[in-house]
Amino acid sequence: MWNRVIWSFVLFLSVAVLVYAVAVGKTYYPQLVLIGVMVGSLYALVALGWVLIYKCSGVLNLAMGELTLIGGYVCMSLYSVFVEKMPPTYAFMLGVVGTLIIGMILGLVTERLFLRKMIGEPILSVIMVTVGLSFLYKGIVFMIWETGTQSFEPAVFPLRPVLFAGLIMKQVYVWSFVACIVLVVAFVSFFKYTRWGLSMQACSDDEMAALSLGVSAKYVYALAWGIAFMAAGVGGTILANVSGLNYSISHLGLLVLPVVVFGGLNSVAGALVGGIAIGILQNVADGGLSHLRLAYPSPWWPLTIKEVAPMVFMVVFLLFKPYGLWGWERIERV
Amino acid sequence: MQSYLAEQKWWRTPFIKAKMVVMVILLVALPYLVSSQWVSVAVNINYYILAALGVQLLIGYCGQITLGHAAFVAVGGYCSALMVLHFPWPKFIVDAGLAYPLSMIVAAFAAGFWSVLFGLPSARVKGFYLIMTTMAAQWVTVPLVIAQYVTRIHGDNPEIPVPAGTFKLGPVVIDSDTKVYYFSLVLVVICLIAMGNLLRSRVGRAWVAIRDNDIAAETMGVNIVRYKLVAFFVAGFFAGLAGSFYVSSLSLVSPEHYDWKESLMWVGVILIGGVGSIQGLVFGSTFVILVFKLLDVAVTQSSMFLGDQYPQITWVTSKLVFLKDCAFGLAIILFLTYEPNGLAYRYWQLKNYFNLWPFSYTGKGG
Repeated sequence: MWNRVIWSFVLFLSVAVLVYAVAVGKTYYPQLVLIGVMVGSLYALVALGWVLIYKCSGVLNLAMGELTLIGGYVCMSLYSVFVEKMPPTYAFMLGVVGTLIIGMILGLVTERLFLRKMIGEPILSVIMVTVGLSFLYKGIVFMIWETGTQSFEPAVFPLRPVLFAGLIMKQVYVWSFVACIVLVVAFVSFFKYTRWGLSMQACSDDEMAALSLGVSAKYVYALAWGIAFMAAGVGGTILANVSGLNYSISHLGLLVLPVVVFGGLNSVAGALVGGIAIGILQNVADGGLSHLRLAYPSPWWPLTIKEVAPMVFMVVFLLFKPYGLWGWERIERV
Repeated sequence: MQSYLAEQKWWRTPFIKAKMVVMVILLVALPYLVSSQWVSVAVNINYYILAALGVQLLIGYCGQITLGHAAFVAVGGYCSALMVLHFPWPKFIVDAGLAYPLSMIVAAFAAGFWSVLFGLPSARVKGFYLIMTTMAAQWVTVPLVIAQYVTRIHGDNPEIPVPAGTFKLGPVVIDSDTKVYYFSLVLVVICLIAMGNLLRSRVGRAWVAIRDNDIAAETMGVNIVRYKLVAFFVAGFFAGLAGSFYVSSLSLVSPEHYDWKESLMWVGVILIGGVGSIQGLVFGSTFVILVFKLLDVAVTQSSMFLGDQYPQITWVTSKLVFLKDCAFGLAIILFLTYEPNGLAYRYWQLKNYFNLWPFSYTGKGG
């Protein structure tokens, strides 16, 4: 109870500070926060896929980055085919739909071929299988596509920035935010209201009980991988629009880990909140660093802390809340 | 066997002793038996054994999963290289060639303490959350602390050139693969014996107790936080030794040598070899390095052949490199799927088969 009051108070206070800063014309940090929210929604989407696999089958997936890579490349190929016949917007939408379908199929195939046999094996072996998968997918992606940086040609989203209350925002960010929100809502309502979603929930809650009630664990695992591929694929597509498509977008797969640790490994809501929180943290920390570097020039400031900041935050956070915000605290017996 | 003491001996029978002697002779004679590129492969195998020794300790004996061991190897490597190059050594130490051995000891301790620092969360968290912390060790140590700060001792570039002949062990200058090989061989033997003995001691038993059930171990009076931290220290210590030995075989120390993929590879090594087995460590390292080498040779040869015979399909030839990644990933997956107990278990089965021959049925139950 008090916990919630304090959290809402903190949230309210920070929003008030930001609004005040915009009102008096200091837009540097509010802008960073806004970009953080937009990018964070992307992290939330990919983290959602990750949490699903973890919840349903207990697999800690280290191949998430390669899944985003596959999504990005598949969508780019589809886009370059479709764009010759129709306007870019429709071509992109069709491309995303195609990515979703191909992602689903690939997810099902991956689960069937590689992970079905690993059910019940020790955690570490399963993790290493996903590491093997990441090698495999990386090799396959670069065998099919080019290794250099590519971008969507012609650009899908208009380059003209959006102005909102004195804050400047690239249109790509706005649209990616919208897309992520739509997809997240779609996935969450899938869990809440459909038969399949409910059986996934049951399976993640207590596998034994779900099995005894006639839920097929096999299909649930397969579906979880399919959805994870879909989410990661769309995440990769959007990131490719933001920053160009090359191997570096697979870094998203690692960023997912601080996100899910923050929210708690078993919590879908935690993935969403964590995604946005880590997005804000990353951008504000990096922006704050360059602010400090300008104010106090010194060779000792690190070059960039975009990659490291979430990791450091994760370690410190783990020391205080070892189960994340909403993770399950397991009570162990001997 | 009359006594427990005799049961616990390292070399129990004359046959085992003879086997060991043969093995030592073979290992010592190796540089004279094979060509120089295979000697450097052997050096790499030894490096993997040493580096994965700490991983085996943490995962196989103490149950603390680590995915960031390259960080501690990096600490050892950079510490050693920078100390040899930049520490104001007194003249007689440099003349006696003691700078490198002394720096190795310092590097090992530094890596050990750095590892304890990141092992501290293990007091509170375990399982997946601990995996995340050790991964964070990787990202904090290598790209940030080492690449951006520590290497400034040397200069602006995070890559430190160490020309052959930088490292001296007493009167011997380490400047060829063969010398590095003998050096690594001695180090591996010492470390494996030390590890084996450590596991037979009170500390080792405490680690195994923590691995099997930490709560039960705690109720039995094992101070689990202390022993976990000791495990992290010893693992870091071995990693530091591995790192500081490996710089002697390099010509350039760069953060790329300590990539996260290396950490993953060492976990792969112990899984392929067999978790909780020192023999498995050796088998796993040998297997992984040999597979890599063979894939490398195969890809180079076939792309050369294809490039000569069919110059019009260079777009296929240039993609063969990525086939290596695919094959390696597939090898790991297939191994874990069809051989989950690792190579050490296979070896044990094989050994039993010959031990029991011709009465092979007696061994089936166990």
